[in-house]
Amino acid sequence: MKKTEIAIIAYKCKNCGKLHYPYHDRCLACKKREFEKVKPQGNVRLLTFTRIYNLPWGFDVRYLTIGVVEFENGVRAMGRIDVDESYPLETGLIMKPTWAPVRVKYGENEYGLMLEPFH
Amino acid sequence: MRDVAIIGAGMIPFGRRDEDSLMDMLAWAGLKALDDAGLGDGGVDALYVANMGSGILQHQTGLASALADRISLLPAAADGIENGPASGASAVKNGLLAIASGYYDTVLVVGGEKMREVTGWRATDFVATMTHPTAEYVYGVTLPGMAGMFTRLYMEKYGVTREMLVSIALKNQAMGALNPYAHVEMALSKDGIFDNPAAVVNNPLAADPLHLYDACPVSDGAAAVVLTALDKVKNPAKPTVVIAGFGQATDTHTLQEREDPTDLKAVTLAAQQAFERAKLKPADINVAELHDAFTILEIAESEHVGFFKKGEGGKAALAGKTRFGSQIPINVSGGLKARGHPVGATGVAQIVDIVWQLRHELPKERQVKDAKNGLTVNFGGFGNNVLAFVLRRVEA
Repeated sequence: MKKTEIAIIAYKCKNCGKLHYPYHDRCLACKKREFEKVKPQGNVRLLTFTRIYNLPWGFDVRYLTIGVVEFENGVRAMGRIDVDESYPLETGLIMKPTWAPVRVKYGENEYGLMLEPFH
Repeated sequence: MRDVAIIGAGMIPFGRRDEDSLMDMLAWAGLKALDDAGLGDGGVDALYVANMGSGILQHQTGLASALADRISLLPAAADGIENGPASGASAVKNGLLAIASGYYDTVLVVGGEKMREVTGWRATDFVATMTHPTAEYVYGVTLPGMAGMFTRLYMEKYGVTREMLVSIALKNQAMGALNPYAHVEMALSKDGIFDNPAAVVNNPLAADPLHLYDACPVSDGAAAVVLTALDKVKNPAKPTVVIAGFGQATDTHTLQEREDPTDLKAVTLAAQQAFERAKLKPADINVAELHDAFTILEIAESEHVGFFKKGEGGKAALAGKTRFGSQIPINVSGGLKARGHPVGATGVAQIVDIVWQLRHELPKERQVKDAKNGLTVNFGGFGNNVLAFVLRRVEA
């Protein structure tokens, strides 16, 4: 798989249809154990966000902008938002999802969901 | 099931305790509780030690065995309890169940954490390790970040304002200034953190929309209680306080999987269970210690436990209905906001503060008059594991 493909897999319960991300061994709604894998589809809608100024170890930047989004097929995920501090973010904003480095661990890039507004 | 009394309560001042090791703090709080219980040199069947991160922060494990040895409780049973920031209440719960079941008669519960041993960004990272490793932690999200996203949703849904959040910070730090056990014994002025345009310098954004003074400090500290079977309490030297009820519930690990992320279901369920077991209602509570790691949580929890309707908690706080001397005094200790939040200690410290309230032992500027019933809420993760206790003073 190319590093640019969004590597999130959601899981739809084959019994009740509930969509899960991240993975659970049993459905959170009906407790059944069989799931269909679902790839997130389309653009995302911003549900909530924050800009964090007191950062954890491992981030040598001034702030991080992080949000929770919903894809067009209902998959919800957290991601990093690639905007500068002055960008007027607001909930409901439609953004483009990509897969990009979000953290460096032991000298290696870790990839994750990166979100960009359409401007 | 036997009724369980809290016969000893002890705490050391929270704050930055560079000279003291984690084991020092646990030992001193434990001994204070034992002395308060008047147990002398014996009589403890089991020890439960609450701590979240000594394995990460101090590179030390096996705390319960070490503490049993340090304070000469051998050969008492000893167990460590790790349940994130709810470790303290979880340890008290385990002590309660052990006695209620009849297995043990007397248990010492000690909770402690030494977080200032590492730099701020290491401590922030340590607390963030309880988020989901691949769906949350990887992005650099922190607990203040989770609270920031929750606050934005709460503001949009219920009209909570920054002024309401500020009212919590002002109230709790004013009470903390009266509490010798508090990490932050400093009252704030509204002008200094909100009204004045220059307040942004004192009170910058921490995790938008939350500001610095919306968050609790990172603290060192320890607290302890001694529990025993009520039927073993004879001629007590101090008023007896019983655990009238407790409740515990869990919720999804990630915020995104909650149908309505503003609905803190685990808080509601834990409180309902505690009230049901105590045969009391929210209106029967005279004093409460809620888990205000962030100002928004005091507002949200005050609604979810049933003190106020959803959407009314912020207005109630702004109107002064949760202040000392008002309708329902919340966080008279100063709460996590001022007393501090050494994560493993917090749930035990909340219970210690309520025990002192129900014994009517506090100075008058902090003593809720005639307090008979108290509530604690200890909030683990971002609401994914919550414990509530209802404590009651037993009249002689």
